[in-house]
Amino acid sequence: MKSSSPLARIMAIRGMPMTLVLILTVVIFQVLNPVFLDGKTVGNYITNGIPIMLITLGVAIVIIGGGIDLSVGTVAGLSAGTTMFTLVQGAPLVAGIAVGCGTGLLFGLINGFLVAYMRINDFIVTLATLNIAAGLLVVLSQVQPLQGVSVPGFAELTKGDLFGIPTSFFIAGALFVIAQIMLAKTIIGRRLYAVGISSQASNVAGVSVPHLRLFTFAASGLLAGVAGVLLASRLGAVQAFLGIGYEFIAIAGAVIGGISLAGGGGSVWAAFVGGLFLATLQQGLRLNNVDPVYFSIVTALAIVFGVVFERQVRRVILRAALHRTALFSTDQPRATEDESVVASSEGSNNNDK
Amino acid sequence: MTSKPRSATETIRNLWERLLVDPTLGVISLLLIFALIAAFALPVFYAGNNIYNLVGSSITVMILSIGMTVVLISGGIDLSVGAVMALCAGVAATVLKMGAPLFVAFVCAILVGIAAGLLNGLLVTRVGLPDFIATLAMLGFASGVLYIATQGVPIIGYMTSEYYIVGGLDPLVGPVTFPILVAVVLALIVGWVLSRTKLGTHFFAVGSNAVASRQSGIPVRWVKTQAYMLSGTCAAVAGIILAGRNNNVPADLGTGYEIQAISAAIIGGASLMGGRGRVLGAVLGALTLALAINIINLAGVPSSFQKIVIGVILILAVIANYLSELARGATQRRRAKRLSSIDA
Amino acid sequence: MTDRAETPSAQSLVLEARGVTKHYEGVTALDHATLAVGPGEVHALLGGNGAGKSTLISIISGVTKPDSGKILLGGEVMPASGPLAAISAGISTIYQELSLVPALSVLDNIFLGREIKRKTLGLPLTSDRRSMELAVRDLAADFGVTANELHTPVSEFGALKKRSIEIVKALAFDPKVLILDEPTSGLEDAERQVLFGYMRSMRERGVSLVWVTHHLEELFGLADKATVFKDGRTVATVATESTSIDKLITLMFGADREEFGGGDTRKIAHLQPSSERPVILRARNLTRGSVVRDISLDVHEGEIVGLAGLAGAGRTEVVRTLMGLDALTSGSVELNGRRLSLRNSTAAYRAGLAMLPEDRKQLGILADLSTAQNISISRLSTVTAAGFWMSRRKELALAESYRGQLGIKTPDVNARIGNLSGGNQQKAIVARCLNTSPKLLIFDEPTQGIDVSAKVEVHALVRDYAANGGAAILIASEIEELLELSHRVLVLKKGQIVGEVRNIPAAIEAGEFARIKSEVLTLSAAGQAS
Ligand SMILES: Nc1ncnc2c1ncn2[C@@H]1O[C@H](COP(=O)(O)OP(=O)(O)OP(=O)(O)O)[C@@H](O)[C@H]1O
Ligand SMILES: [Mg+2]
Repeated sequence: MKSSSPLARIMAIRGMPMTLVLILTVVIFQVLNPVFLDGKTVGNYITNGIPIMLITLGVAIVIIGGGIDLSVGTVAGLSAGTTMFTLVQGAPLVAGIAVGCGTGLLFGLINGFLVAYMRINDFIVTLATLNIAAGLLVVLSQVQPLQGVSVPGFAELTKGDLFGIPTSFFIAGALFVIAQIMLAKTIIGRRLYAVGISSQASNVAGVSVPHLRLFTFAASGLLAGVAGVLLASRLGAVQAFLGIGYEFIAIAGAVIGGISLAGGGGSVWAAFVGGLFLATLQQGLRLNNVDPVYFSIVTALAIVFGVVFERQVRRVILRAALHRTALFSTDQPRATEDESVVASSEGSNNNDK
Repeated sequence: MTSKPRSATETIRNLWERLLVDPTLGVISLLLIFALIAAFALPVFYAGNNIYNLVGSSITVMILSIGMTVVLISGGIDLSVGAVMALCAGVAATVLKMGAPLFVAFVCAILVGIAAGLLNGLLVTRVGLPDFIATLAMLGFASGVLYIATQGVPIIGYMTSEYYIVGGLDPLVGPVTFPILVAVVLALIVGWVLSRTKLGTHFFAVGSNAVASRQSGIPVRWVKTQAYMLSGTCAAVAGIILAGRNNNVPADLGTGYEIQAISAAIIGGASLMGGRGRVLGAVLGALTLALAINIINLAGVPSSFQKIVIGVILILAVIANYLSELARGATQRRRAKRLSSIDA
Repeated sequence: MTDRAETPSAQSLVLEARGVTKHYEGVTALDHATLAVGPGEVHALLGGNGAGKSTLISIISGVTKPDSGKILLGGEVMPASGPLAAISAGISTIYQELSLVPALSVLDNIFLGREIKRKTLGLPLTSDRRSMELAVRDLAADFGVTANELHTPVSEFGALKKRSIEIVKALAFDPKVLILDEPTSGLEDAERQVLFGYMRSMRERGVSLVWVTHHLEELFGLADKATVFKDGRTVATVATESTSIDKLITLMFGADREEFGGGDTRKIAHLQPSSERPVILRARNLTRGSVVRDISLDVHEGEIVGLAGLAGAGRTEVVRTLMGLDALTSGSVELNGRRLSLRNSTAAYRAGLAMLPEDRKQLGILADLSTAQNISISRLSTVTAAGFWMSRRKELALAESYRGQLGIKTPDVNARIGNLSGGNQQKAIVARCLNTSPKLLIFDEPTQGIDVSAKVEVHALVRDYAANGGAAILIASEIEELLELSHRVLVLKKGQIVGEVRNIPAAIEAGEFARIKSEVLTLSAAGQAS
């Protein structure tokens, strides 16, 4: 693929076509309503979007490792709840943050343990913990109204600013950078992709699959925990149903960004772009006074077109690139992207025992 | 094959082994355990209409999970069932309000359900979206349409006396309500399709090994699409009934039902990997969920614990299914050994 | 197209492919390929990995649509309307990859897509399993599938039984043309012979057979003609009587042939006796349920120990327990005198074991990673800085060095390994194993599904490894391969060691190949545990 043009090479990277769409979307919204890129508005909507983007990142890590985590939304909600609960009791800020993050991590570890060591299907495990976390939040909110905290510094997590930029930007930015380094530059990242491509083959090659599985769920839980703390800080009050449905937005965001649900394909950038795209879309619709009843339809259409666009672009480029290499090499490369129904269900379903 | 059971002990052993190798053993035992707990620990369980209400309350999820089971068998997943159900309920209610007869309203609702299923199927098999994403988009789309149509205000004023029967608020004959009848008929039909017809075999084939199915000449895409259409139909039927039972159709009528339907199907032994599942399992799975919630309600546990209970039951069900798998393997091995020793 | 055999007139051809071309995104899998099969003829389809054989077969079977060209059946052009049309026209295919549906019973698999129906409410709705059973019962019994087993889900059976089931499925509808894509892969010698017997009887009944194989020696006495493919093009069609393995290899690989070490699969390495050299692996009383029972074995430095046995004898299961992939019930393993804990494969690799697994596609390659990444994965510490940070530069250097050393043919070690031919993938996995500097290397079916030339090269790798003092365990279903590579063979049956044949290189040099071969075969078939 050395001979392909730089543009084609960039667009062939997962998440890049969507980056283009994201930029386009921003431009369109800006034209429609010049307030859109106003410093204050942007800061606001990104602050609002950050919790979901962190959840998206967590889910993306699990998906890249070949799994799925449905519990992230309600776990984030519960973490927001426990943070609030702790602070309402008069505990210091650090304790509240620690409890929130700890809640997420704990759920992540439970998920990971059940999936990796008890070998229960991850969809079912996280469906169960989704319900459990949601239920616990309801119980918690009945024990004590989760609001009215005035611990200094808590609200500033999302509202305060350093050099004119909200604090939560730095938190989220740091987490994204760490995740990027982890995935792209360390042996953990490499093994994660291997396990996502084929856990069986990775196991035979000596990669410790259970440890990695546990790691992905723990990471995802922790990120949900952080998201929960930020949610609590921004909302100031935690409702009993907080977080329900976030898992769907997060998974959709990851997939729109170009992360393959089959595992083994994706990047932090893809999760970032996918998450940010959905947040941007919502904000743009809101600013242009679109009736909120249309949001879910627009989002649904965006999901469909986003995924299709991302794939078509990369397919066209890959085809062209392969064609070019084929002229030079004798070993014929097999195309990477045959995602027709038959082909995609082939790998996962050949499970004779 | 021709040897007849010769003695009573042998008959019992055969029956016992039949049960042990039954794929629904897991959920059956779970259900039995809960029923026993209820019967012994909670005398109120048998009081009044409790059991009756319990069954009534499980019907919606039951019908949804029957369709879900078929989708899971064919290797997909349908997240849109709750939203499509609500949309169909809205359609039925709206058409009724316009003065159309019940029958017309139902046909309209069912057509919408089938269309939603068809669209799901096309998105998955033709556009090539992952099942999860395609049906998630449909969830957003269907619930969005209902929101727009109702502007967030529940639809009311469509109930007729016949609709009270359809919704199960008034019984049909004796203690049997219309929803129960529908659920039973639907379960029988889908069960028959799955076990006796070519289409049923093809559902399993496509979910278990799509490539091999295609090589055998099965129209894989069409079969998957049909599974989604069946699920859409079930969602429509559930919507029709729920609209009757609920007296009104709020825009968020279907929220969360997809999770319950998937849970019931999985508790009933369906596999997310495709190629495995049973209608009886789904029915029992829905009953198990309803029973568990009923028990904690009767026991005075606040209803806020419901979700926690659902979560715990899911895990229990997986363990129960795992144990029943072990029992099945062991029994089959024992039986094979016995048969071969007879041969020798 | 040099057609050396006398061409039957077009009318008498049963199956014909004319100018079939197929491109996959950028790859030319077939380039104006032709094939002409006469009635009652066994027609071999030969070619290296990636020559396009399976692609042609999938086009003939209606699974893949060609870009151009046509398929004629009995002189008439077949409509390109999918697998069902091909099946109805009388083409039965046994595909290279097992293609049964695990969730369905054997009976349902056999009739998949062609169910016999019974009338319900006046409509042919219900599948009539009784009629189906009656229709195939005898045929199934011929292949050792009992009436009881017909109703058992396919997932319960091993690979061998599945092959038999596929054969029954292919024969059940009296095909005019039977296509077999590497049907013997994974089969034992005895089963192979059974299958060949059936192929002969099919031919006598006038069925035409198209047969893909990488085992050229199987051709003689069975195939009537052979068509050789190279890079998607038909090179030649020859009558098997008038040709030889050497000639076929030349056709298959052209001028490159010399690079492959002359293609002489019968070459025996000069392996020194090694029982006096130190013991590397000492396994005692390995037991895993009823699959592996009380296995004790020693492997010395520089020694290749072969495991022989029929399918289901537990060979793969033994090495999987050694690698920590399956848990042991009891037993102990020492490597260089140090006791190993076989918790998982990571521990096994760390201790100095490595394995080239059977089933390259499922268990071997990580298809979406690059060749370089596939080589480094088992010991990433060889390509990291500070033991944690991946170093691209080191990884490339490592891959390049193995590329040169093992002769992995790829234009770019950063390209996806899934794009390489089977043989080159296999070499990359050997490189992966070597990179862990193993004290003991396990080769499980190292040449399955790879072409003749790659096979010779993999054999050379195995020999070199032992010659350099490495210890190895080898599993190979092909008895000739096993004997040619091993110093010593242990014969397994039902999870137990039932016999041992020593000093194989010496025996072969003394011209006693046939004797030890029959000794091993007798042991594996009839051997009794002591
Ligand atoms: N579905 C596919 N997508 C992309 N490329 C393919 C596909 N199937 C085959 N190819 C490519 O077409 C070429 C021919 O493949 P084919 O499987 O026909 O070879 P073969 O002769 O059967 O080899 P083998 O002996 O290894 O089975 C190869 O280069 C292969 O990579
Ligand atoms: Mg092939």
